[in-house]
Amino acid sequence: MTTGVPLTAGPLANAALPDAPPPAPPATEIDRFVALSVALTGFDAFELQGTGMAGFYLKTVVEQVGRRPYDALRKAMEQVGFDPEKLQGDVDQDLARAVTHLWYLGVWPPLSAEVHAQLQRQVANDAFTAAPEAYVQGLVWRTFHGHPQGAKAPGFGTWAAPPPGEPELPRPGEPARHHDGTTGGTR
Amino acid sequence: MSPARDLDGHRYDVIVVGAGWAGSLVAKRLGSQGWRVLVLEAGTTTLDTWPGHLDAMNTFYSSLIKVPNAPYRANTAAPSPSVLDTVPHKGVHRYQSVGYLVQEGPLPYGTDYLRAGGGTGMHWLGLTPRMLPQDFKVRTEFGYGRDWPIGYDDLQHWYCEAEREIGVAGDAAEQTREIGLPFPEGYVFPMHEIPSSYVDRVMAEHLDGKTVVDPGTDEPVELRVVNTPHGRNSTPNQAYDGGRGFRPQDAVGLPNYGERCVGNASCTPICPVQAKYNPLKTQAQWSRKVTLIDRAVVSRVLVADNGRVTGVEYQAYDDPATPVATTRTVEADVVVVAAHAIESARLLLASELANSSDQVGRNLMDHPVMLAWGLMPHQVGPFRGPGSTSAFERFRMGESRKEHAPWRLVIANWGWTWAAGSPGSDVAEMLGIPETPFQQRKKALYGVPLRERLGDRIGRQIAFQFELEQDAQPGNRVTIDRRHRDALGNCRPILSYDLSDHVKKGMQAAMGVSHQIFDLLGAEERTAYQADAPSYFEYEGTGYAFNGAGHGCGTHVMGDDRRTSVVDQWQRSWDHANLYLVGCGSMPSIGTSNPSLTMSALALRSVERIHQDLTELHRPLVLRPAPAPEYAHPTEARP
Amino acid sequence: MTVRDPLTGLTGFTDIKTPLAEIEQPPFEIPRTVPKLRYFLQAALALEFLTIPPYLTAMYTIKPGANQEAWYALRAVVLEEMLHMTLVANMLNAVGGKPVVADPRFVTDYPAKLPYAKEQVPIALRGFGREAIRTGLWIERPEKMEDLPRTGKEPDPRGWTSIGQFYATIREGMRRLAEKQPDLFDGDLTRQVGPEDFYNSGGRAFPVTDLASALKAIELISEQGEGVPGSIYNPDERLFGQANELAHYFRFMEVHEERRYGPLDTPASGPTGPALPIDWTAAYRIDPQAKVADYPPDSEVRLAAEHFNQVYARLLWLLDRSFNGEPKQLQAAIPVMLELRDLAAQLYANPHPDPARAAKGVHASATFEITQAELLAAKKQLDTGAGATALLASLA
Repeated sequence: MTTGVPLTAGPLANAALPDAPPPAPPATEIDRFVALSVALTGFDAFELQGTGMAGFYLKTVVEQVGRRPYDALRKAMEQVGFDPEKLQGDVDQDLARAVTHLWYLGVWPPLSAEVHAQLQRQVANDAFTAAPEAYVQGLVWRTFHGHPQGAKAPGFGTWAAPPPGEPELPRPGEPARHHDGTTGGTR
Repeated sequence: MSPARDLDGHRYDVIVVGAGWAGSLVAKRLGSQGWRVLVLEAGTTTLDTWPGHLDAMNTFYSSLIKVPNAPYRANTAAPSPSVLDTVPHKGVHRYQSVGYLVQEGPLPYGTDYLRAGGGTGMHWLGLTPRMLPQDFKVRTEFGYGRDWPIGYDDLQHWYCEAEREIGVAGDAAEQTREIGLPFPEGYVFPMHEIPSSYVDRVMAEHLDGKTVVDPGTDEPVELRVVNTPHGRNSTPNQAYDGGRGFRPQDAVGLPNYGERCVGNASCTPICPVQAKYNPLKTQAQWSRKVTLIDRAVVSRVLVADNGRVTGVEYQAYDDPATPVATTRTVEADVVVVAAHAIESARLLLASELANSSDQVGRNLMDHPVMLAWGLMPHQVGPFRGPGSTSAFERFRMGESRKEHAPWRLVIANWGWTWAAGSPGSDVAEMLGIPETPFQQRKKALYGVPLRERLGDRIGRQIAFQFELEQDAQPGNRVTIDRRHRDALGNCRPILSYDLSDHVKKGMQAAMGVSHQIFDLLGAEERTAYQADAPSYFEYEGTGYAFNGAGHGCGTHVMGDDRRTSVVDQWQRSWDHANLYLVGCGSMPSIGTSNPSLTMSALALRSVERIHQDLTELHRPLVLRPAPAPEYAHPTEARP
Repeated sequence: MTVRDPLTGLTGFTDIKTPLAEIEQPPFEIPRTVPKLRYFLQAALALEFLTIPPYLTAMYTIKPGANQEAWYALRAVVLEEMLHMTLVANMLNAVGGKPVVADPRFVTDYPAKLPYAKEQVPIALRGFGREAIRTGLWIERPEKMEDLPRTGKEPDPRGWTSIGQFYATIREGMRRLAEKQPDLFDGDLTRQVGPEDFYNSGGRAFPVTDLASALKAIELISEQGEGVPGSIYNPDERLFGQANELAHYFRFMEVHEERRYGPLDTPASGPTGPALPIDWTAAYRIDPQAKVADYPPDSEVRLAAEHFNQVYARLLWLLDRSFNGEPKQLQAAIPVMLELRDLAAQLYANPHPDPARAAKGVHASATFEITQAELLAAKKQLDTGAGATALLASLA
């Protein structure tokens, strides 16, 4: 009936898998990257580690900008007491933006043209999704208690429920329901 | 070698061109009636396997801009347009088309389609509102566009059948109460309604029972949030089908995997759990009488001297990345072209067929979508659930249609994703990252303030989609020109597209309504149309921009006069009695309803006629009068 | 302890030396009274439920994107176990019982011993790996694989050696009781969970109203796990008109052997079809005996693991209510399960808080521990109608 290949077709099945995660950098190095990322993202170490992406992101950053500029950013962050607002210099500032962008969206952004030139990068200055899973693990969705579109589905009908801190509301056309002693709709 | 190369010279009862939505339904029904059906698909058919589905998921995850075609692999032999193909331009027009479609009209046609097994129905949003009875006679009732040769009552039975095939979830009683839709006595949809979103509930709380004034007519219109019927798995209604209930359809490619909508919030471009109907679910029900051949681009419908079509010529290719093909032919008693409005018109024009009315390719319609967006004072939980679960329906109907185009005021559940590229654009903005590397970077926000500001901003996002009815205009058309060809040498579609003043007046009125709604909501309106947007235009001193809805319709319109329409009420070519053109292209007007359901009803209705035609053709003992010297259309030949 | 896998001949489970948690069990025999039948059904409910956290643990410790075929196999099994639990609750309700879920005497800690199992096989929360799959093989092993006493005879009082045998014992008791008591199945019909409340991959729930529907439920439960006798397939095609699907045991066998069953394969032949490559390293390594108390107080991992258990307690209450007169609550239970999925995934992705263990590559765990205090807190939360649960239960 169809020309479909069965589920067991090895090559195709493997083609559907995202790139296997590369060998992770040493744990201490990941911890330092996470510490820096906590300051940049506002998410705690558990949440960042919970994405499973920390080692992969560190590797991505180093691949994109080189070891020395990354180390420089890390040292600069230590020197400013992990307050990114106090970062000086276009390179450090733009790398801080890029690392944060990577965590929030799973996407490596283009650097500013000047910084790109200054770093003498050997790669194109283009945006790309670091890995399929990187999109899924983007932090931005957590900022409003959401989930990435197309992943981590929360279940049938959950979209009818209020987001945290908001009141229950009746379904359209129904009278306001009494709830917890208060009428739905009061804020 | 592609199996497509193997068919040369074979003969079938029916050839269906296109394994998309309409074609899949037609093939299912005809196959189950015992007819030998060959379905030719121009694209590939990887999506009906689970690895193919997972590949599409990962392609979607990896894509930077998650447009409707983002999950589906490019195919150089059978290219598809993308909504990213129209780009700003400084020239005769404000836009340029850089993709498969050639565009020459005043405004861009901003809608895509997908040439692959399952077709554009792979990335539909999943809404199945019926057309209103008054939508079928807009010329008579309201003085614009074209009337249908049939009415709502003729489609009633077929709407019900389509709702069964798709597995519609909804509240029929509410549709009658709020929209006035007639249903058969005691009718319920196969499944209970998809729950209205929290965003809908917020809207209802603020707006239900309030009125706004239509600035085009100065008439008040009452606002009421109405749940939309969906083609997506919900809770089966045990009262359906006289108490026999309904069995929802599983996903395709993985045995016994299928469930209710779990709220992935990615219906367009792809439903990860396949709770949303897609045409592959229909293909999974095909009988063995149906043969599907993919990578077979039909280049011509073949016709005999007596005016009857004899089959098709197609190009068989192996590798979608290597556009080389061998040409084959295959024959059938009946040919059904169901290749999407634009592709079907393109094929007819290339075949120089069915066009004695000069209407092939004309009357191209879409639902121009005007977006409006803003911020509520509080969190509304956007980016959850299906893309839309409710709408305000009163703007679709009534006397105001004489003054301006009507619209369906759709409540969006996914924040500013369509309007402004959220949430990616919000992150970039707060990090001070501009659109290009050459622009000045701004100061970035970091840490907890970044997290909180993003949550506050994105969590309050609301948006509306004003989906306007576009009236049939002969100048909005698909043509071909041998100078514009694709890699296999087939003529690419050339579009000329514009909005009529009737539509522009509709946008003007819609904008007025939009402002009133934001006021009633106490929301901060953020709607802004950029003058360099490809679809930007000014009307009576105000700037507008719009998007395509993905609803290409009207390129082979049906009518009751062969001089002014391409097909009769059965979607049968006036010029060729055994050629059917099935799909949205047959619709003379499209109302304000997402067209897939109506298209399905029309397709199922046509199957009855095709079955009748084939039965007559194969009845051995019927004495026929001598054939007329010149071919006459059957409906004309009979008293 | 050492256990020899009767089918593969492999030994395993030697890493667990602590005593196994166990529910209280009167002697194993064909139930001759209604209370005894109810008790056995309650034990069956516990058994079905106890299998779910280990399977979830195996599933959620697979690293994202890896071993997708194993992931989908585990997913299918978990959903069918949920269906089994629901059907057992329907049977229990049909004979006038009151299913108990939210009770620490019922939901034991891990490693656990399955109720009425003859052997001391530890059911532990293992990360994805061969041991986890072998646990599944042990749980689901077919009746025919063992030299079992014929049904109808009194079972071995030391317990069952296959779950099918356990259900055969219940079935025999139910048959005999139904003969003596025509009103055996006179339970309140409104307590039955139907397809409106539960449908998903692997079949739909159906009400149990008489002996025939009860026997159908038992047949489905046994055969989805162990296969139609003599076959590698489950009965879904016959019962639900669904596609032919492997029974749990054979799904696990495919993963274990890294090879698919071919069209002519039988239980005896083992899988001889195409290769099914498994990357056993693409999984988070965890401690199969992890407890919340292992994690330093106030550490992020500790708080997350405790939070997980609180949500788990909420799930138990929702299931409890679903099976006790509020079937609609089952709709609210699914989102809670999905919430647990996300919380667990975060834990597994985090290194163990003990640096020494982290250095060995051990990760944090969801521990699935339930105390009376947690259950009380979760109940209070539910009773105040907090969160989405009340609304979700009101849908449909």
